[in-house]
Formats: sequence, C-alpha cells, structure tokens
Amino acid sequence: MAEKGTEKKNGIIDCDVHVYPKSREELNKYLPLPWRDRYHPLNRAYGNIQGNRKDAKAPGGGGAGTDPNFLRYQLVNEYGMDHCILLPRAMLNNLPDPDMATAVAAAYNDWLADTWLGEYNDDGVFKGSLYVATQDPIAAAKEIERWAGHPHFVQVMTDSGARAPFGQRQYYPIYEACEKYGFPFAIHPGTDGMGINHQPTPGHPTRYIEFHTCLSLAFQAHLVSFLTEGVFVKYPKLKVVLVEGGVSWLAPLMWRLDAEYKGLRYEVPWLEKCPSEFLRDHVRLTSQPIERPDNDKYLLTMLEAMDAEHILMFSSDYPHWDFDSPKRAFPKLPDSLHRRIFYENAKELYKL
Amino acid sequence: MERYVVCKTTEMLPGQREIVQIGRGSIGVFNANGNYYALRNSCPHQGAPLCVGRLTGTTLPSQPGNYHYGREGEILACPWHGWEFDVTTGKSLFNPHKCLVKSYEVAVEPLEENIETYPVTVEDGLVVLYA
Repeated sequence: MAEKGTEKKNGIIDCDVHVYPKSREELNKYLPLPWRDRYHPLNRAYGNIQGNRKDAKAPGGGGAGTDPNFLRYQLVNEYGMDHCILLPRAMLNNLPDPDMATAVAAAYNDWLADTWLGEYNDDGVFKGSLYVATQDPIAAAKEIERWAGHPHFVQVMTDSGARAPFGQRQYYPIYEACEKYGFPFAIHPGTDGMGINHQPTPGHPTRYIEFHTCLSLAFQAHLVSFLTEGVFVKYPKLKVVLVEGGVSWLAPLMWRLDAEYKGLRYEVPWLEKCPSEFLRDHVRLTSQPIERPDNDKYLLTMLEAMDAEHILMFSSDYPHWDFDSPKRAFPKLPDSLHRRIFYENAKELYKL
Repeated sequence: MERYVVCKTTEMLPGQREIVQIGRGSIGVFNANGNYYALRNSCPHQGAPLCVGRLTGTTLPSQPGNYHYGREGEILACPWHGWEFDVTTGKSLFNPHKCLVKSYEVAVEPLEENIETYPVTVEDGLVVLYA
C-alpha cells in the first residue's frame, strides 16, 4: 500500500465510489432510537422489530423454524397437533425474472421434500405446500405436475403480491394443474408492493402497522376476482385457501358482492348463483391473526355469518411474532364449531 | 406471602433478569437500571412467557411525526406479539388499567452472613422476592 500523500496524481476524478460502515454498530452511534431498531438496509421496506417469536430460536443455534425437534417440542407436542401444514417463505412473486422465480420455487420444493417432508417426517405429521411463482404460469403448472402423487405435498402456494388479481385468465394454467392433480391453491401474504408487484392500497403505506393491517385488502381483491371471473365455474373442482388474510371481513364483503350481483349479473353471465354461494365448495380461510374485538359475541356472530363451520381452518403462523395460540386465540366456541375449525375442515380439504 | 432468595445482587446486573419457578407459577425478576421488579411470567393476552421478552425502551406519547424515545430498560415487550408492559408496574402501555400483569414485591436485603457484622451495600446484598 502506498503511503498516504505520496501517490502520484494522474488527473482523474472518479464520480461514483461506494464506502460502507465497517459494521452496523459503527452506524448505530449516529442513528438514534427508535430508528436504530427499525432500519435495515435492503430490507422489504416494512419491518417489525419483533420479527419472530423471541422464544422460538432453536436452543442449539439456528433461527426460528429451522430445527424440527424444537418445532415439535414447542408446537406439535405442546398443543397436541395431528398435522402441521408447512408454508415456506421464499418470496418469489416480486422477482422480475420469471426464470429465476421458477428455479427458486423448484429449489424450495426439492428442499422441503428432502427435509421437512422427508428426513424429519417419519410420522407424517408435516404436510407441505408446493411453492409456485406466478410470473410464468405455464412453468408453474409444470412444477405442479412434477410433484403429482407426492405423499406429503397437500397444496400449491404462492405469495399474495401480484401484478393482476388472481382470477384473471393468464393464471389459468396454474389452476388447471391444481384441479387436475387435486391440489388446493393457497395464497399467503408476501411481496405485495415489492419488486414488480402492485401495492393493494392507494400508494404505499407509511409504517408496518398500516401495511400489515391492510394486507387483507389484497385477499379481498383476489377473492372477488376469483368469483367474478368465473374461475370456479371453469374449474369446478378447484379449491382456494386464503392464508393469513384476515377472517371477519368475509361476510360483509360477500353481502356487498351479492348485492352488486343482483343488478350487474349481466356482466358475469357465467355466474348462475350468487357469488357467496361458491364459498363452501371452493374457498377456505385460515384463522390467524383472528380479529378479537373486546366483546366476543361480535366475533362469534361474524363466524356464524361467514359460515366458519365449513370454511374456517385454524392456523398459528408459528414462529412469526403474531402467533395465535390454539388455547387462547379464540373465545370459547361451541364444541362442534371448535372441532370443525381446528380439525375437520382441514382434514377434509387436505384429505388427511 | 413467602420470602424467596433469588440471587446475589452481583449476579443480576442492570438489564439482567432471572426467571424463578415458585410452586406452579413462574415469575420474572428484573434489574431495571438498578431497581428490582418482579412480574408474573405469563402474558395476559395469550399466555406467552412474557418475562423472556425484550427489556427495552420505547417511543413515548407524542404529537404525530414527533418521536421521543425513552424509558430505556424499563419496558418489557412480550416475546410473541410484542405487547409492551411497564416493568416497574406490570401495566401495559396500550391500556394500563385494563391490561396488566401481576407484579410482586422485590427487596434487596443483606447477605445472611453479613447481618450482624458488616455495613451492607447493594453491591453485596441479596435480591429477595416476596410472592
């Protein structure tokens, strides 16, 4: 290394050079709280300082949700679960390159099949989700076909982030494959407003609390799209699962859609019954994060209004920070309704 | 109310805690900036082990767009949903009167062997929980 000040100057001015703090701590000295806790460069824009359950880190090292023995201890055995439906978080629908998105989806599926659905799964407690990216629906359909007949993949999944509502026809190769091979199509929050995707609010929310509350809006838009585009008419055996998209909005949204249908049926002549009448045969919602008003009777009324007995399935979202405990998340339910939500509806959908 | 010796004061420095099992109950004992507090180790929300959560500060009430970070080391955030509790009182920040966790008395008492003979300082005392 040349001694400072001794280098020969050659008449060059470089107008783009990058330097970095040696560590995050070096920057932190200049960054006051609360921002020190919240800022992460190159993150997905909306962050929560909690992230995962703080007690879910595997004791032997490794992040939350990485150790099958600890997950069994903290979730499967703690609550006596018969099965867990696993949904990896690859975050793919935001990627501009469809070939990359397809390749990473396949990698996640191979990984899940080898590990959580294979090596860690002697007793078959784990059932998995086949990841697909929606940028190239024909490639996604081929990926679904690749896993047809696998004993532990029970559904296809994708991120809720999208460039267009999921009922539109460009996605149909995916639904055709789902129907053909008997996989429900699950949508899980993620990649909304990121990369190539639209943000399902009028512009980007400011903070995580706003972003996270409004995640339900994408699910509502996708559901109305599925119903009005006639996807369930075209694919009469297709099932759609809305995971972590909210629960108690469903009934009022269907009241509104059914009311619209009475005057606007002429736009969607393929619907020969009210949109809400498709739900029981085609749509399931998972429960977490269950909305919990101060007065339980309001939630119980909404559960009745939305036909939870047939379409709601319990979920915990383990190990994420907004985990719902099977013991404490719900108010006291009638035994038969509890059994439907916590067990029967999923058992029937996934043929467990 | 029973007396339980938790540890020596030198074994629980500011920011540190001990979770103790008393009968069937679990209680978290905290050293928050040199003062000692104890809370029931169960979140009133969904029963999470509250006392393993982050002991931190938080943004204090302010006008929109203003941020006043304070109470460093006195706010306990539940390890699951992050609900914030005042470790000095057990009261939640979002609704102190309706959402709170039971708190217990903690005292610093002289080491038994020193009772008769030495003047006692916090540095060589015992953290004692009354629960």
